[in-house]
Amino acid sequence: MPIEMFTTLNGIWFLLAGIFLIGYSLTDGFDLGSGILHIFTKDENTRITYMNAVGPVWDGNEVWLIAGGGMLFAAFPVVYAVSFSAFYLAMFIVLWALILRATAFEYRNKKESKIWRTAWDIAYWIGNTVPALLFGVAVGNAVLGIPIDQKGIYHGTFLQLLNPTAVLMGFVSLFMYLMHGSAYLLIKTEGKPFEFAKKGAVVGFIGFVASLILADFFIIAIKPTLFLNFFDYPLFWIAPFLMILGLVLYFKYLVVDEKYNKVIYGSTLTILGTILTIALASYPVFIRSSIDEKYNLTIWNSASSDLTLTIMLISTLIFLPLIIGYTVYVYRVFKGKVSSEGGYGH
Amino acid sequence: MDTLMLSRWQFGLTAFYHFIYVPLTIGLGFLIALMKTRYLQTRNKHYDDLSMFFMKLFAINFALGVATGLTMEFEFGTNWSEYSKFVGDIFGAPLALEGLSAFFLESTFMGLFLFGRNRVSDKVHTFSAWMVAIGGTLSALWILIANSWQQTPAGYKIVETPQGFKAELTNFWEAVVNHSTVYRFLHTVDGAFITAGIFAMGVLAFYLIKRRYVEMAKIGFKFAATFTVIATIAQVIIGDLHGYEVAHQQPLKLAMVEGKFETEKCASLDLFGIIDQENKQSRMLLKIPCLLSFLSYHDFNAEVKGINDLLKEYQDKSREYANLIPVLEQKLQQAQTPEEKQKIKDQLAEAKVKAHAFNIKYEDLPSIPLVFTTFHLMVYLGFYFVLIALLAWWFAKKGTLEKHKGFLWLLVLSIPLPYMANLLGWMSAEVGRQPWIVFGMLLTRDGVSFVPATQVSLSIAVFTTIYTIFFIVFLYLMFKTIGKGPNITTAKEESVPPVNPNPAFTTNFSKSEEVK
Ligand code: HDD
Ligand code: HEM
Ligand code: HEM
Repeated sequence: MPIEMFTTLNGIWFLLAGIFLIGYSLTDGFDLGSGILHIFTKDENTRITYMNAVGPVWDGNEVWLIAGGGMLFAAFPVVYAVSFSAFYLAMFIVLWALILRATAFEYRNKKESKIWRTAWDIAYWIGNTVPALLFGVAVGNAVLGIPIDQKGIYHGTFLQLLNPTAVLMGFVSLFMYLMHGSAYLLIKTEGKPFEFAKKGAVVGFIGFVASLILADFFIIAIKPTLFLNFFDYPLFWIAPFLMILGLVLYFKYLVVDEKYNKVIYGSTLTILGTILTIALASYPVFIRSSIDEKYNLTIWNSASSDLTLTIMLISTLIFLPLIIGYTVYVYRVFKGKVSSEGGYGH
Repeated sequence: MDTLMLSRWQFGLTAFYHFIYVPLTIGLGFLIALMKTRYLQTRNKHYDDLSMFFMKLFAINFALGVATGLTMEFEFGTNWSEYSKFVGDIFGAPLALEGLSAFFLESTFMGLFLFGRNRVSDKVHTFSAWMVAIGGTLSALWILIANSWQQTPAGYKIVETPQGFKAELTNFWEAVVNHSTVYRFLHTVDGAFITAGIFAMGVLAFYLIKRRYVEMAKIGFKFAATFTVIATIAQVIIGDLHGYEVAHQQPLKLAMVEGKFETEKCASLDLFGIIDQENKQSRMLLKIPCLLSFLSYHDFNAEVKGINDLLKEYQDKSREYANLIPVLEQKLQQAQTPEEKQKIKDQLAEAKVKAHAFNIKYEDLPSIPLVFTTFHLMVYLGFYFVLIALLAWWFAKKGTLEKHKGFLWLLVLSIPLPYMANLLGWMSAEVGRQPWIVFGMLLTRDGVSFVPATQVSLSIAVFTTIYTIFFIVFLYLMFKTIGKGPNITTAKEESVPPVNPNPAFTTNFSKSEEVK
């Protein structure tokens, strides 16, 4: 392992950025996943149950994204500035989708009207599916490279971001969240909603494996150098190993053992492994420049001063345990199966 | 329009929409927590009903506060990337701390508060109400620290990097308190209290007029009135202190806010006026002699600088810095030790940045009539709020509220006014900061992203559309929920027959909803 990853502020902050991305994917990931599934059932009860399953926690989960954005701004302002302005429209499409989702939660069940509810269901589906897809597209572009110059100014177009490899990576993340969301619903629901979640889990699993294999072929074809890190630092292989272990467990619990409460361990490991694999492959680069590797944004040339990094590190060490503490408490309060009664169903 | 103008519009627009929902979240959060606590103390069921009722309204409002806030967090990167690179070292930290210390707390306990009623004890439920309120206030604290730093920067130095100049943190505490954080925080949060106080009084006044839930409404009204009286009186005092700070830290803003082109000793405070920006003239009505000098410097004879003189001063400053550049460059070549070199390099970076930033002309100023008008309207509203809060409190105390139907209607109709005061205040503070995005350091036009104008036009169009639709849905649901009224647990309340019920509010919605 590159030792500076643990001994320098910049390296530690690279890991912390990864932790926030993983925190987001593990928590809001299942909200997204259950929201992707939601529209494919015609059963009104199942739909409300799915919303109730994530109702009390989705907002707290989304904060991982907001806090992650803030952390990126504080620790690597240049990455924040360059990527968000380069991905201008893509960013806003994600935001609009998340805005739709937030309002759909609160407003969908406030009125007993078919048109009203159908409209909010579509909004809710867009609100979950589009971010799940575009997160992967964005990560794909960042690691594969986008045309940025030495000042970090983007010289491409919006459509250029939708190249086949990046879009494939979008599907990887979409199916990853579907896997995770379905696994969560397997714990939280029973009866009809439960049966439907099983289908979601199978589709998620197959979709993930298929798009992952395809994406790998594309990456090897256009950017084989991306895997060099794994040869320089053999320990990095732990990450893909975790991903595969997760997939195996997912399959085992879902299909072989039928231990539905444990399926989520599989998706958790898969998410952890997938994100780590990408992050470690890219290290120490955040955003690759396709104009010239000299212009890559790395943990060294885009970070804040040591003073800011130190202050933020201390703050994170204070607040993160607190956050995890009360989040776990709230999850435990809401432990157990949910139905379409109460919650957003009223 | 170019990317700059479009980005300014978009930021202003999205911030405005965000700030429609923010004050009620903060203020009502406290009111609900206070009512819950009062319920725990007195076990008077009315307080519980009140808090659960306002919670429903709170939830509708909160959803949009979250949805629109999300945009704000990312907009610095999308639309103001050059600004973000320049200030990131300092500005990013409060934003991150806002997420860490406030949003997690607020959102997590919001889930517990909304859905956990039957799963946790009354004490824990009340505790979660307090956590929501405190979370909202902490979030205000951090974002206002960031905004205040932008208005009155401190605790930084300027350095040059391969990607351009940037401000680097030298002293965290100085950057956090800078010169205006305390005033801005107190003033904004108190504005939120006023918003919630008048909102609650207005809603309850409506029930009193319609003779619904009379008992509960009276109790709640008295509670809200006391809260509002304190908040409104405090606001006048805080606002005055805030003005004193602006006079010292941002004299150009003060001059624009007061419409003063010429420097005056014993400057008058002008209540109304017409400003002719093109000809640099203002015609004022109702001048109160020497009062502005007193308010700004606590001395009736103090000199208040006018716009013309201030612009000259800035030009001189710019020239001074510019003249410093060759001197420093020479020094740099003679410097021996690396420390010395670094020090001179930093001075050089500062000189370069400020020589450029202070080189502003009259044409760069924002609309002065706008700054003048928004500020003055806010202040008048502030005094109006004191008046109605005192009257409401007095009538509630004497128990004569129901006799003053006209006054109750006035309260209902006053609900939008605190919202306006908040937005007017922001407009005067933000437009008055122009032409700088960071006061005295970075011009707004140098902070904007390199994004094609077509993309920004598109994003404005979409934002305007969805925010407007959501605003309408928001109003509809608020009216509907208010019309439907609280779920009364004390049975006898419901029996008071509504006198002349407004059909839109009572019949249509409440009947069909209550059945299920
Ligand atoms: C004075 C208070 C105040 C001000 C000036 C702002 N906000 Fe805000 N914001 C809040 C007070 C607040 C709040 C009361 O805490 C909200 C409203 C609803 C909510 O959930 O929290 C909120 C929500 C909110 C959220 C969603 C949080 C969540 O999911 O819980 C974000 C990301 C932001 N804000 C970000 C910003 C940014 C970047 C601002 C600067 C332009 C800003 N806010 C101005
Ligand atoms: C905290 C960091 C902030 C930054 C970087 C920022 C930046 C800007 C910029 C660049 C503009 C456009 C300038 C103009 O058109 O006059 C602007 C305007 C404005 N901002 Fe802020 N602002 C911040 C905070 C806030 C907050 C917290 C609010 C409150 C909701 C707010 C409200 C406004 C308003 C009302 C305008 C005027 C709209 C206009 O002039 O078009 N701002 N701000
Ligand atoms: C009655 C007397 C009041 C006075 C003397 C006063 C004074 C001020 C001053 C000096 C500023 C700073 C403006 C700038 O930087 O240009 C300000 C801003 C502001 N005011 Fe007021 N104000 C009053 C009432 C109110 C009320 C009643 C509200 C809301 C209900 C309000 C909400 C705001 C807001 C949101 C801002 C922008 C944030 C800030 O800069 O603090 N004000 N006010």
